[in-house]
Amino acid sequence: MNDLSVEFQGVSKHYPHFNLDNIDLELPTGSIMGFIGANGAGKSTTIRILMGLVHQDKGTVNVLGHPMPADQTEAKLDIGFVSEDMRLYGAATLKWHMEFVSSIYPRWDQAYAEKLVRRFDLKLQQKIKGLSHGQRVKAALLLALARRPRLLVLDEPTTGLDPVARKEVLGELMAVLADEDRTILFSSHNTQDVEQISDQITFIDHGRIIDSDDKECFLDHWRRLRLVLPQNTELPHLPGVIDVGGSGRLPVLTTNCFDPAMLSVCQDLGATVQAVDNMTLEEIFVTSVQHRRETLAV
Amino acid sequence: MNYSMVTRLIAKDWYLQRWMILASLAGGAASLGIVCTGGKAAFMLGLILLVMVLIFVGAQLPMAMMVHERKEQTLSFVMSLPISHREYTTAKILGTLLIFLIPWLVLVLGSLALFAVPNGVALGLLPYTVIMAIEILVGVCLTIAVALVTESQGWAVAAVMAGNVGFNIVGYYVAHLPGIAQGMWGSSLMWSPTASTVVLTEFAVIVLLLCFTFFFQSRKRDFL
Repeated sequence: MNDLSVEFQGVSKHYPHFNLDNIDLELPTGSIMGFIGANGAGKSTTIRILMGLVHQDKGTVNVLGHPMPADQTEAKLDIGFVSEDMRLYGAATLKWHMEFVSSIYPRWDQAYAEKLVRRFDLKLQQKIKGLSHGQRVKAALLLALARRPRLLVLDEPTTGLDPVARKEVLGELMAVLADEDRTILFSSHNTQDVEQISDQITFIDHGRIIDSDDKECFLDHWRRLRLVLPQNTELPHLPGVIDVGGSGRLPVLTTNCFDPAMLSVCQDLGATVQAVDNMTLEEIFVTSVQHRRETLAV
Repeated sequence: MNYSMVTRLIAKDWYLQRWMILASLAGGAASLGIVCTGGKAAFMLGLILLVMVLIFVGAQLPMAMMVHERKEQTLSFVMSLPISHREYTTAKILGTLLIFLIPWLVLVLGSLALFAVPNGVALGLLPYTVIMAIEILVGVCLTIAVALVTESQGWAVAAVMAGNVGFNIVGYYVAHLPGIAQGMWGSSLMWSPTASTVVLTEFAVIVLLLCFTFFFQSRKRDFL
């Protein structure tokens, strides 16, 4: 049995003003991947290709053992999809939506759906057009979760939510994680949301995957070193350092492959290591993107 | 083809458009009621109202069921369901046509019934009425095809206008065809080979429009 729920190999898609370029992506079954990118980086295009809604120009996509887009009907039976730009029918009630979706998915869990209605404080008889943005996202999430999908694909679901609604949505996602067989792809430009629930992180920028690894590896390997240099000493290029900030005598080095031995190297140069700071996922993401853009510019 | 999914999508559209279906039936019944009051003026007024109701429904349905699906961003919800593009296209075409055919058939059959009423409408008008009723269907199929393929309100409105212009041109042209014009105002039915040719041509255009729709939809690579 294939233990990858999602597999992209050399996937490209060309638009007049945007290219998704040679995407390789693997999402093991049971993992939660945070898919992070700035607006327009290619997250939604990648997800639409995954769902079979956009056809790739090149490369192969395999989702839950089904080649996409050819087998999208079979694959989508096991996928729950919620995107920021997805809307339900305004003139219909949540109850009608639940009945409609439950008639399609054989694994629909009515008891769980009703539990989510209470938990999200939704009203079955209320028309969708009368719901707030947060309630609409929760309703869409309910419809996706109660079908008990093997793969949950969430494209910026927390965008535009107030802090309370965001916490509730993320809380429910955390609860879903208890099911070890469920795989989740969670795209967002909000790194805090992704950091809370993901165990794998992928960064995308300008249509290319720039990095992909376990979250813990990212957090372990990235460090910010604050140094004090002696007078008239220039810092040579150090391996593994991808950014040098700060002022002349007080450089701040950013590394993506931190090793305690680096501290000895700095000290051998006469530098005093003032601090070794951990970096947040947001800082890691921003530095990664800037580093890639600078490298491309050179 | 997953027919059960196609049926569910059609049922969904029927539910969402139920008020329009009822309103069109009410409007159509009112038009027929006016015709039944008797007199040439009532007949003309009722007929014009009837055509207006059909054209309105024929324009509004593809807008509500296809263009608005994209505009109101419900398309991504529908396309996230286990359906293929072909099933979506089939459901939309069948759903729209079936909804339209309800008021269309009721109103057309109602109109035809007027020919059977003693001292009702002159039987000579029957071929012309049938041809123009089918022409409305051609216009609706044109709007469906354009709305589904382009998903653009602008193009769909242009298709509605083209359909209406076509309706008037065909109406004028057919009324002046010798095979139709000869017995048009007579009291007896005269179904000529010309009438059959026109009806067959109209059905051929409908089939072509629907085939083109499937062809262009199958070539689409981006559904969102």
